[in-house]
Amino acid sequence: MSNPAPLLAARGLVKTYGGTPALRGASVVLRQGEILAVTGASGSGKSTLLHCLAGIVRPDEGSVVHRGSERLDRASEKRLSTLRRTEFGVVFQFGQLIPELTAADNVALPLLLAGAPRAEALERAGEWLERFGVRERAGARPGELSGGQAQRVALARALVTGPKAVFADEPTGALDSLAGEQVMTALVRTVRECGTSVLLVTHDAQVAAYADREVRLRDGAVLTDGADADAVLLEAGA
Amino acid sequence: MIGMSTRHILLGLLAGGPSHGYDLKRRHDERFPQARPLAYGQVYTTLQRLVRDGLAEVDGTDSDGGPERTLYRSTDEGARELARWTGEVAPPAPFVTNEIFAKVVVSILASADPAGYLRAQREAHMARMRELTAVKTAPGADLATVLSADYALSHLDADLRWMTTTAARLTTLTAEVHPA
Amino acid sequence: MRTDLRLAWLLTRGSDRREGWRALLTALGAALATAFALAAVAVASVRGQVRVPYAAGLLNHPGERSGVVLVLVLLLVPVLGFLGQCARIGAVHRDRRLAGLRLAGAAPGRVRRIAALETGLACMAGTAVTAVFGALLLLRFWHRPPLVLWAGFAAVALCVPVLASLVGAVALRRVVASPLGWVRRERGVRGRGRALALVLPVLPLGAAGLLQLVRGPGAPSSSLSPVLAVFGAVALTGVGAVGTAGATARATGRWLGRRTGGPAVLIAAARLRADPWAAARTHAAVLLVTVVGVGFVGVREVLLEELHRDGRHYAADLDFYTTGIDLAGAAVLVALLIGVAGVAVGTAESLATRRRGLAAQHAAGVPRGVLVRALLLETALPLVPALLPATAGGTAVYVGYGALHGAGGVSPLPLLVPAAVLAGGLLAAATSLPLLRRSLHPAELRFT
Repeated sequence: MSNPAPLLAARGLVKTYGGTPALRGASVVLRQGEILAVTGASGSGKSTLLHCLAGIVRPDEGSVVHRGSERLDRASEKRLSTLRRTEFGVVFQFGQLIPELTAADNVALPLLLAGAPRAEALERAGEWLERFGVRERAGARPGELSGGQAQRVALARALVTGPKAVFADEPTGALDSLAGEQVMTALVRTVRECGTSVLLVTHDAQVAAYADREVRLRDGAVLTDGADADAVLLEAGA
Repeated sequence: MIGMSTRHILLGLLAGGPSHGYDLKRRHDERFPQARPLAYGQVYTTLQRLVRDGLAEVDGTDSDGGPERTLYRSTDEGARELARWTGEVAPPAPFVTNEIFAKVVVSILASADPAGYLRAQREAHMARMRELTAVKTAPGADLATVLSADYALSHLDADLRWMTTTAARLTTLTAEVHPA
Repeated sequence: MRTDLRLAWLLTRGSDRREGWRALLTALGAALATAFALAAVAVASVRGQVRVPYAAGLLNHPGERSGVVLVLVLLLVPVLGFLGQCARIGAVHRDRRLAGLRLAGAAPGRVRRIAALETGLACMAGTAVTAVFGALLLLRFWHRPPLVLWAGFAAVALCVPVLASLVGAVALRRVVASPLGWVRRERGVRGRGRALALVLPVLPLGAAGLLQLVRGPGAPSSSLSPVLAVFGAVALTGVGAVGTAGATARATGRWLGRRTGGPAVLIAAARLRADPWAAARTHAAVLLVTVVGVGFVGVREVLLEELHRDGRHYAADLDFYTTGIDLAGAAVLVALLIGVAGVAVGTAESLATRRRGLAAQHAAGVPRGVLVRALLLETALPLVPALLPATAGGTAVYVGYGALHGAGGVSPLPLLVPAAVLAGGLLAAATSLPLLRRSLHPAELRFT
């Protein structure tokens, strides 16, 4: 196949938390520039799959390959940290914003971590807040923002470094449907412009419908009935 | 169901002012973007029935250099009927009749593969939902488009939820019938 | 009241691990407080000239004994600070439980009473343990102790839990738990509290001055007025240092928050700005110990110099004096340890309440090193400026003492105290690093 290597390819992931299996041999591919929804009932292993692909968690078994060559499941903790800071962005349901920092400082933080001067970082943070329609809330702290605003600030923070992939775990889980729609629309529009891949974990079919493709999990494994199930793809490609 | 309310939809469109048949069809398709498009013949017969029942009347003709067209307008009686209809509560799901539901029941009866059918149907539903989401979120989508896409998405989502629950029930059922 | 007590007992029994820690540490604090109070009672109950075979005869004379009692009572201050820190462990959890009680129909006053009783129960456990061991020790070393001593013991064992419950009730007086779980701390009249904090230490100072005036300058000074003066001065500088800690925490938070480009400094500064008084509360005990410590080391210098100068007059029992000084030094050290333990508990608690957010931030790529530095900076940034007035206050105390005793000058040795306090504070904060490491574990994310 002449396709470029997928951004991330995970095969046969197994992960157990204190005797409870979260993943039992899940395989999935995240291609460059695609939005992939991971759905399934609660407890089906969606979040753990996201954590493994984003290098937050190391799988007990199986491999995670980045850009066709780098084994994330064997990478050093330092490398994973750098990767998460520069190549990946993360959005959770809540919690990723530092409550004491203003919205602008929260968005500027990844740039500061990369060594950018404060003024420059704040300027770029302002641009990204503008992009997500929350510029006028730049001076507010997360506690003073509405749920939808906070999630848009979180998106700005995830995208400010120009990552290759964004990992979103139930990004609209705590929002009403209109606020959720605003968040999803802003996310999809931006990643389309930037060519960013997205791994979108959700239990909500209406949110999953923003993605290009859907992978369904049940009991920690991917249901392989879909037309382009990743397990089948992986077998064919490798 | 479409047949039942086409009269009222046309009456509603006429409420804006006199209009001819082709114009009514065009405006209908514009206002109800995700609905099945109205056939011109259906518009014509419906208008004739409205005139027969005294709800609409012929307002005259105009030609605009092309073929001659009949203009229709709503009567006072028509306006009253429209007001009555829009205020009337629609009966909430009086009959459970749906093709997906029927197919699942029949394939259980015929010992076919209901789970397989549900998976395929889910794929189709998701594909349609992606389409509708794209339509809805496209820059410059007008309100009517957004509203109709929202409506369809909610219903497809409801179908999906029913299908997910049903698939889970079928798994438990199979486990009970054929214990491993 | 009976049902309240039963509820408090049920809640204590059913609480989770973190609340278990609060109960345990509260009990430990109560045990310490009881130990000091019992020792003070025991020493105070001795009458007249006796021969006590311990502490180089320091307990033989009524005069020295009253000094020992004073030191033991003063040691209660850092213990109370420690208890205050412990009461904050698992506060979020407790607040949620209080809300649950409110939802179930309990009136606000009753909820506060139950919470106070919970503290009382934990303290009772600690007090009971110390009281039993204290009584056993007493029987072992003191042949037929006087009845008044047993009465004192009983009073202490009773008073500590009751006092702790009262302190708990006072600490919770502004906490209004709404049935829906919003717990808000009503801002009381800030000015009144501040005025009180300033007036209280000034009272003994004024009293000392008055005593001196009444007796006239020529009269031999009583032992009471210098004690009162020192007491007031220490308390005043302590209040000043705590105020400085709060004010500078806010100011440095603002100033650094605007200018810094370092992520760790930014996070620490933002946290200081958001709640400057948290730092002041945590550091109050160690700052007070700094004042006492600097003063003590200075006074010790003066005393030793005096002793060596007039060595022949005291030759017989130089040992007696140095033992006294060393014991007082040990008391200061114990106070410092308790204060530092309070800082450690405070840091751990602040981490524990933020663990979910910390895990999310780490997952989002904030390196552990940055979070570690932010944690240490959060302790150091308000502590360093607050140590300045504390050191100055302690220096004033011993220079004043030196001037009275004809020895002048500032010596460098007392300056080791603030350095030790800073090191101790940072060390205490560092004890939380393993907890930080655990908090950053991705397993913490699974419940977001």
